[in-house]
Amino acid sequence: MAKFMTEAKPYNLPDYAILHSDKQVACSVWQPDRTYIVLGRSNRITDDSVYIEKAREDGVEIYKRPSGGEAVVLSPGMLVISVKLPIKNTLKTHQYFLHINTLIIEALNKSGIRDVHQKGISDIAVGIKKIMGSSIYRKDKTVFYHAVLNISESVAIISRYLKHPSKEPDYRQGRDHAEFVTSLKQEGYNMVMEDLKELLEGSLKSLVSLPPK
Amino acid sequence: MKYIFNFPDIGEGLEEGTIVEWLVKKGQKVESGDLLVTMETDKVVAEIPSPKTGIISSLFGKEGETIHVGDALVEIEIEGVAGKEAVKEVEKGSDLEAVKEEGAGVVGTLEIAGNSAVLSGSTEGIGTIEVTKETAKKKVLATPVARAMAKDMGVDINHVKGTGPAGRVTKDDVLQHAESTTQTVSTASSDTPNVENKLVEVEPLSQIRKTIAKNMIRSKHNAAHMSLFDDVEISELDRVRKQYKVKYAGEGVKLTYLAFIVKAVTHALKKHKALNSEMDTENDKMLYKKYYNIGLAVDTEKGLVVPVIRNADRLSIREIAMEIQTISDKAREGKLNMDDFKDGTFTITSYGSIGGKYAVPVINYPQAAILGIGGISKQPVVKNDQLDIGLVLPLSLTVDHRIVDGGEVSRFMNTVMGYLADPVSLIME
Repeated sequence: MAKFMTEAKPYNLPDYAILHSDKQVACSVWQPDRTYIVLGRSNRITDDSVYIEKAREDGVEIYKRPSGGEAVVLSPGMLVISVKLPIKNTLKTHQYFLHINTLIIEALNKSGIRDVHQKGISDIAVGIKKIMGSSIYRKDKTVFYHAVLNISESVAIISRYLKHPSKEPDYRQGRDHAEFVTSLKQEGYNMVMEDLKELLEGSLKSLVSLPPK
Repeated sequence: MKYIFNFPDIGEGLEEGTIVEWLVKKGQKVESGDLLVTMETDKVVAEIPSPKTGIISSLFGKEGETIHVGDALVEIEIEGVAGKEAVKEVEKGSDLEAVKEEGAGVVGTLEIAGNSAVLSGSTEGIGTIEVTKETAKKKVLATPVARAMAKDMGVDINHVKGTGPAGRVTKDDVLQHAESTTQTVSTASSDTPNVENKLVEVEPLSQIRKTIAKNMIRSKHNAAHMSLFDDVEISELDRVRKQYKVKYAGEGVKLTYLAFIVKAVTHALKKHKALNSEMDTENDKMLYKKYYNIGLAVDTEKGLVVPVIRNADRLSIREIAMEIQTISDKAREGKLNMDDFKDGTFTITSYGSIGGKYAVPVINYPQAAILGIGGISKQPVVKNDQLDIGLVLPLSLTVDHRIVDGGEVSRFMNTVMGYLADPVSLIME
């Protein structure tokens, strides 16, 4: 069991490397190797956002990302999508969300997923259920976009570790995790993780020039 | 020249943000583009750059504090600029699209970044991002109020001619546009929203109204509301209250009926734990609370707020009366803080003094119940088989029927009424 801390670890998961890379423009689509809990910038480990005891029982490590938003769970049934872009003066934050989320929605549409829309400030939902949440960190001259897409993970894992968030988008309407969040699998889409990952990377290529594999 | 930099709209359409970290100190010299502060909104953490070169003369707000878009954030003394030069500097404008305002000349010139100022960013490193689809259309400059108003009124803001700085669309522009549009489409059907500003007063939703709306919907969506109404005869309570009212008034304490009701409810909650509980559906558990924090719904000019009397079971009726007075004063003066609203376990809403006998109060979710207090009136009652004039207090209890069964609701109500009918029992138990 991993050693538990009284404070969340600074975020250093693999996708974070792009923020510190020399490249002005970069992206990554990463499948977590195990379960993690990631707090938003202002969340504290003692906050009412996470069931600490359960995380401790299961040996799940807790990290804190630099971007905003509420705590999230990462697991091997999910994909973490990260994009680094230079700040463009004429673009407001919601336009970065819209721009990148549009590319992700296009990729999902290409793989046959229907009724996918951006909801709330920056979520992506199938119908009225959330399949992806995203947040942004604007640092100096850089925008770091960070999203978690639920491909096949049971929503029970979210209910196990995360409490009802203190803030919620209007379309959530007080629904608990089980009613609000879904996965592509739960919606009837059995995706091959690698295929979807490639599709997403391909779609994001219109945004950035990915380095050759 | 002093330059006031207001918290800019960082582009989510949100009205507020939290100061995460100050990156500068008072007296520090900054260059245009140097980072001033890290701010957080719902989904974004942003390091905000200085729009000007100068010396920081004031920082407004502490770390952890939430401020609204348009609130003053930083005051910058612009270096080496004075008199006519200062005016020229202002007239140069900035990427903040500042609104200039010349001071009275006594202490120099004051420039204020408009409430609608957008987040400035570096012009360096601009890539080749081409905004697709919806974002490809250039967004018209407008104040947040104008944008919200246009949305509410169904006006396409892109069609409104702006008269503000740099052609920015203002509230008046939207109203004027709506009025002219209304005149040209006066034959529209009755289904068309009436946007004539003489008939419809349009105001942006306040934060408190948004919160009330969200909480009400959340409660109605999650809880199974069920209500019970009853009357209790409180002549004896009235006698006791009158007896002590004058004495307490001399000590500066206003002894209201509500103080007795809070005490009666607290006693009853100890006997009926389901009414002081919460259902945790995500973990299939019931949480029975052994602390008794009673929320009191207070009607203020800005809207409904529910401050909490903590550990009411440990307070005497006199102390409860003092607490009620304190939170009522704070509510009216707008001095309640977040701690005053936290951790309520049961709510009482007292509307009787304004008017009305019964209501179906909405539960302050995730609490299990709320008690409504109607107006006290003299009514004919039967005492010892004799018709008498009684003082009657109407009660309306709403519970979450997922948590509390009907029988327990009635038993709780009977217990509360028993204490109110025989107030001496409140101090005997």
